Amino acid sequence: MSHPPANHPILAGPHGQSTAGPLAVRLKGVSRTFGEGKTAVHALRGIDLEVPQGELVMLVGPSGCGKTTLVSIISGVLDSDAGVAEVFGRDWRTLSNDERAIRRQDLVGFVFQQFNLIPTLTVIENVSVPLLIRGVKERDAHERSALALARVGLGDRFDSFPSQLSGGMQQRVAIARAVVGTPRLIVCDEPTAALDAKRGQDVMEIIHEASRLDGSHNGSPTGSPPGRCVIVVTHDSRIFHYADRIVEMDDGRLKETVSRHILEEARHVPTYRDDADEQAK
Amino acid sequence: MNLIALRMLMRDRGKYVALVAGLAFATLLLAQQGSIFLGLLIRATGPLQNVAQPDLWVTDPFTRYVLEFRPMSDRDLQRVRAVPGVAWAEPFFSSRTPVELPDGSFKTAQLIGIPRSTLIGQPPVITQGRIEDLRAPDAVFVDESSRPRLADVQIGQTLKLNDRRAIVVGFCRVKLGFESNAVIYTTYDNAIRFTPVGRENIPFILVKAQDGLDPKELAAQITERTGLGAFTRKEMRDRTIDFILGETGIGINFGITVLLGFVVGLAVVTAIFYQFTLENLRYFAVLKAMGTRSRTLVRMVLLQAVVVGFIGFGIGIGGVGAFSLLGRQPGAELTPYFPWQLLLLALVAILLCIFLGSLLSLRKVIALEPGIVFK
Repeated sequence: MSHPPANHPILAGPHGQSTAGPLAVRLKGVSRTFGEGKTAVHALRGIDLEVPQGELVMLVGPSGCGKTTLVSIISGVLDSDAGVAEVFGRDWRTLSNDERAIRRQDLVGFVFQQFNLIPTLTVIENVSVPLLIRGVKERDAHERSALALARVGLGDRFDSFPSQLSGGMQQRVAIARAVVGTPRLIVCDEPTAALDAKRGQDVMEIIHEASRLDGSHNGSPTGSPPGRCVIVVTHDSRIFHYADRIVEMDDGRLKETVSRHILEEARHVPTYRDDADEQAK
Repeated sequence: MNLIALRMLMRDRGKYVALVAGLAFATLLLAQQGSIFLGLLIRATGPLQNVAQPDLWVTDPFTRYVLEFRPMSDRDLQRVRAVPGVAWAEPFFSSRTPVELPDGSFKTAQLIGIPRSTLIGQPPVITQGRIEDLRAPDAVFVDESSRPRLADVQIGQTLKLNDRRAIVVGFCRVKLGFESNAVIYTTYDNAIRFTPVGRENIPFILVKAQDGLDPKELAAQITERTGLGAFTRKEMRDRTIDFILGETGIGINFGITVLLGFVVGLAVVTAIFYQFTLENLRYFAVLKAMGTRSRTLVRMVLLQAVVVGFIGFGIGIGGVGAFSLLGRQPGAELTPYFPWQLLLLALVAILLCIFLGSLLSLRKVIALEPGIVFK
């Protein structure tokens, strides 16, 4: 897997801004430091970023550049030290812990590198978790989860346990879990890192499809454009072509950003599809 | 979320079984040892329970136990009888005596002597023979459960008590005492012949108060006029229990075992439950990231703890119940006594156990940062 160089053409463009529809995410001067004194690590240094609804944004950059910290702050599971981190118009820092929890229930879906499926729950029970957290009755939750699982091609594995599934299947379960509650924001942390080329391709297809589905069920204002905001943290250059925009980070700062139309012209970057085609030949 | 908590708990079979087994074992130790301890205390009062007729037991003021006494004289008996309000007062003998068996070995028996004329203090249940036959020369009644100890003695056979001849004329059923000795009934006169205790030979005087007179009031009168101790059956029972607790080591020994049960239960629960929580911490963080509130996670952990607590407690108590049934066999050496108070106490101890055991886990879950899901 190759990483695009910092001066790669697909990474050229204006910093952190988008000209698309209503904003899902707005970061202004977001900073985060871990530790104190000489051992302090400045994970984020004044990040400005805007992501509209319906956009699939990829955060790329070397290990330790702050991608995961940034996505943690965006999803409301970590506080920033300074700046504004607004998601659908509310700054996480102005909310109490309970308010944040409720907002995460309603707005955010998660896909993790290591899937994080609960091993003692069946597939359908795992997918139902976000709905159960919201207080949906188990029978209703299972009905909706069954639909989500069918959409990711696992309609026949409801009663399997995660350990009985392949990595790709587990990640598809995780995606079903992320979208079952129709969240308006999905954050994905290295969703293809633990998968081979073919499975990575499948997973990104599903995530991409999820980003195009209507995410307006949960309180989106009337007339808002369809589609969820999806933020993907990745090192994997073979999935870049799924992005509407790629944001590169380095040393806690946003370095470059590139929009979809430039990506369209940058097809020479190897993709999973290319890998798969190569293997087929 | 409760269902999720229970599935996380019960589908992790190894830890679930270990938790339940640990708590069941702790419950068994606590409740079974507690019931045996109470059973022993109750058993120590067996000789008192066998005597239903009198209102008061009169004895030396320092006597605390049926088999540990300082005898009184015939004059004391007359003085007690002379106290106003006494309906009747009869001597009651109780002492240990060796019984020689046909094979030349011997057993120690508890010899009870009751007055020949009134038979006050007679055994509560006669199973074979007539109690009146006790008035025959050298006659004795033997407790049914004591027969195996006395070479399965039969009616008409002779026993040697302290080298004196005694003829078995019947069998009775009585509650045994603390020492589990065979129990033999005879007349008071025979008893002091079989077991001479010196010039003064009345261990106890059984007293009945006249109708309408408060036994406690009469007891005070007797003490005032004779200088002897006069105790109701309840007071005598309490003195017996005090004696057993104070003069023997069983209180400390059983206390240590019960404490050990609690500590074992606590250690097992804390270690396994904490390990269980640690292994699930990542999933708790996932739940938290998805919007589960901390108090919901606390509720889930407590639910898991309480469920294993109750299941372990139930299994443990079931074990104690089975043990208690075995102990109900006549003549059984262990006679567990299991009042509801002990059940409640064991439940409280187990709940305390799981509460303390889950504290560490709760601390971990409350302090859990949902951000670890991305690490």
